[in-house]
Amino acid sequence: MHYKFGEPAGRYLGPGGGYHVYSGSISEAAPQGYGDIHVHKMAAGEFNFQYGPSTGGLMESVGISLTTPGELINSVGVDPYFKARELKLKGQGIETALLMVERINGFHAASNSLAFLMAVEDALGIETSEEVQKARILQLELERIRSNLEVMKRMCEPAGFGVPTNQLGYLREKVSRIISSASGHRFFFGVNAPGYASIAYSGINEKLNVARQEFERIFYALLESKIFLNRLQNNGVTKDQFLSGPAARASGLRYDSRLDSGLLPYGDTPFFPAVREEKDCFGRFSVRGEEILNSIDIIASLGNLRETDRHVSKAGDGEGCARLESPQGDIFYYVKIRDGKLEDIWHVSPGVLNVRAFQESMKGNIFTDFHFNWESFGIWISEIGVVIR
Amino acid sequence: MLSYIAIAILGISALAGLYWKRGAYFGIMAGSAYFAWSGFNPLDQMSYFILIACIVWILVSIYSISYDKHYGKWLASSLALMIMGMMAILQSTNYLLLITGWETMSIPAYVIVGMNKKDSGPAFTFMMFSEFSTILIVAGAAYAFFSTGTIDFSLSASYGPLLLISLGALIKMGMTPFMISEWLPIAHGNAPANASAALSATMTLMGVYVIMKMILLSPDVIWIGYLFLAIGSISILFASIYAYISENMKMLAGFSTIENNAAILSAMGLYLVASEPVLRQFIFMTIIIFAMAHSISKTGLFFSIGNSPGEYFGESDHPTSYTQRVGTMLTTMSLSGLFPTLGGLATWMLLEAFFMEAYSGGAPGMSAIVIGSVIALGEGMATGSMMKILAFGNLFRRGLGRKQEPNQAIISGIGMLLIFLFAISIFIVSGLFISGIPGVLVFNGFMITSRFGAADFGLISPDYVLMLITVFSLLAYAVFRKPRLREVPVWNGGSVEVDSYTSYAYSNNIRLMLRRVLRTKAGAFGSAVTVIDVFWLIMNDIGKGYRAVSKFITLRIMNSSISWYMIYMIAAFMVIMIIAVEF
Repeated sequence: MHYKFGEPAGRYLGPGGGYHVYSGSISEAAPQGYGDIHVHKMAAGEFNFQYGPSTGGLMESVGISLTTPGELINSVGVDPYFKARELKLKGQGIETALLMVERINGFHAASNSLAFLMAVEDALGIETSEEVQKARILQLELERIRSNLEVMKRMCEPAGFGVPTNQLGYLREKVSRIISSASGHRFFFGVNAPGYASIAYSGINEKLNVARQEFERIFYALLESKIFLNRLQNNGVTKDQFLSGPAARASGLRYDSRLDSGLLPYGDTPFFPAVREEKDCFGRFSVRGEEILNSIDIIASLGNLRETDRHVSKAGDGEGCARLESPQGDIFYYVKIRDGKLEDIWHVSPGVLNVRAFQESMKGNIFTDFHFNWESFGIWISEIGVVIR
Repeated sequence: MLSYIAIAILGISALAGLYWKRGAYFGIMAGSAYFAWSGFNPLDQMSYFILIACIVWILVSIYSISYDKHYGKWLASSLALMIMGMMAILQSTNYLLLITGWETMSIPAYVIVGMNKKDSGPAFTFMMFSEFSTILIVAGAAYAFFSTGTIDFSLSASYGPLLLISLGALIKMGMTPFMISEWLPIAHGNAPANASAALSATMTLMGVYVIMKMILLSPDVIWIGYLFLAIGSISILFASIYAYISENMKMLAGFSTIENNAAILSAMGLYLVASEPVLRQFIFMTIIIFAMAHSISKTGLFFSIGNSPGEYFGESDHPTSYTQRVGTMLTTMSLSGLFPTLGGLATWMLLEAFFMEAYSGGAPGMSAIVIGSVIALGEGMATGSMMKILAFGNLFRRGLGRKQEPNQAIISGIGMLLIFLFAISIFIVSGLFISGIPGVLVFNGFMITSRFGAADFGLISPDYVLMLITVFSLLAYAVFRKPRLREVPVWNGGSVEVDSYTSYAYSNNIRLMLRRVLRTKAGAFGSAVTVIDVFWLIMNDIGKGYRAVSKFITLRIMNSSISWYMIYMIAAFMVIMIIAVEF
């Protein structure tokens, strides 16, 4: 296993499986300051406003409790486990488990399935070819484009910007169709297996270049809209160090598994981490826009891909883990395999850290800021609120 | 002379109250009825103040009979004495009687506020401002005596008495110093509900009466008119804001009183500024209608609050009595300036007066536009604060345990009275402003027109408004019948936890939006959001500063020093001599 249990090393990725995962180790020790969450005491005039789990404005079921004296939000509690899903993965074979893992969050099916498969490959000592690694980069970057388009679209909605909302939705659909024609499934289902990836590169670049031009028009027009910027700037400012993905990079933190994971050859691509210093919704919006453009460049640099052989042995014992940069941050999978069956499995979702940061950043903001801020973190409850058995 | 009998009845009632509380209230009722009968003359516009006050006193007496059970004998006697003082003011033909009435009114009010709660602060606050008020009225009376040579009310060539007495009266109305002061809500909010009603509805009415009387006795001084407009417009805005954010229902009603009085003061300012005789007459009518609407509505509002288990919104609940809810709704509608209540007509007339003055152009026209806009803004805020009382005190929070509403009939009666007065307002308003448009079936005598010359400016037909509301309501009922209601459990996003929306949250948007004016702070003093009444704060600081300087001079400079004492005496003597010679 290329990951080691021991003392904390590197940046913090989040808790999982009863451990705390860092970029360089798995430890039982939580990082300093992680538990220092200010517990809000109800003051005179305040009441709890329950938002969700089943309500308009939220894409997923999540229990949000806002402590407010009216208009002003003094404390936020997010319960991603309100509608917790239990997945029985332990004792399952790799292929069966893969079917369930790639369905944890359809929008991030490639990230979840690839992180899981790369952990399996680590456990079983399976080597992957350069072609497979490039195919995986292709999948991850296509998924990143679509996921960030979706987040940006959802940030336009609360501003009442119907035109850019639908334009970004149209682009997201366009990317989904590119994925579908290249891989045979809009969400990469059934595309991956240990040591294997089935995706065709042909024609992707041309289609993405067209989408790029359309996206640039929308993105730069939004950045010129004072009405839109007023809703984003200084909204949800976070000074937290425990962040992941675009939320971290919008806070000036160069956190990106593509930089420090080393599992995929991003060094051969024009990848660069988009880092901004604003720490607010605007920063997170801008980072996403820049990452979409960078992902298109990365895909263009991959060259033509050939389909790889699917004959890889899946039997054996071992313990492994893998970390990838999913569209919304670090995703980590740990597996322990005995006789080709999963004896243990757990994961760390990028949303865990970002939910915590969101809660802190919401204090002192007002109700109308809520949706912009919530969407700007790109939190997927389906990834956090899942309990693996 | 006959009307002095009423004062005598009230004096006897005050004595009777020490032994038989109910007897005192019956005495107040009888005395007030007699006072109205003997003092009211429909042709004398100033006598409308007597009618208004007497209506309120009779209502207060009826309410007090059951409300007073929890209070000692001091309440009935003090209330009778206070009303006796007000009668003396309304009856006064000279400054001496006015001052006597003013003090007779103030001292029992101090006793009521002081005896009601253990906290002596509100009573001392009340007394301090009352004495300031009295000093200014005494000074104004002395000025009038020196300028006219008599203590009787007579025309004065000087504006001094008007200015001094008006400032004294404005203190009683909660508007000086610093345009708005928190003392009135503190004092009125700390009295029993029946006394609060009398204080807010009629003690401040005395201020209106005295200022109006002085205006009629003084030359038209336009700058005093502008002063009134400035004080009125600033007060109306701030009082409505503070009312909106108040969490104490009685304090809210107190701020509402300042807001209403500020509206009346603005009308009086406009009366001084306006030069067109017809418009001035319309403004005079506006003052009377507004005073009537405010006094009666505020009485109903305090009665409704008095029926609540606590003074704070958090302690209130939904009354079981449907009639009380209807009464409170109509009362708050009137204080919001909505039809079909007398308050709606009053607000319409006030805004019409300002619109008409705007046509005069120049400085008066410009100031009428600006101040009319501020008044409209204040009225909007007032609607918000009244809806807060209606919603959080009477419509929501059902089932907190209120068992009985002893005075539900009188509260609903006041609501009906406000509609009735709206319907008969065509008989109250001067015939000069009554007309009709038979061509559209609004017959002559059923329409009030605002005008500042020969041509009509605006119009309203209260009876047609009422008729249309009634007809369409009945029509809707005939067609749709009573709506079928189905009560379902509250849906809270799928969560079983249900927390109630609070009155605090209702008004927190204003706390946040006006953070610079209200000095809004989050999380201070264990409260979610705190605000500061800057006027009150400045006043407190000045008071503390004055006290510190006095203490320093007394203890450090003049203490046992005959030479400093002599210097002080000589300086004081010289200052008084200069004032006496100069004025």
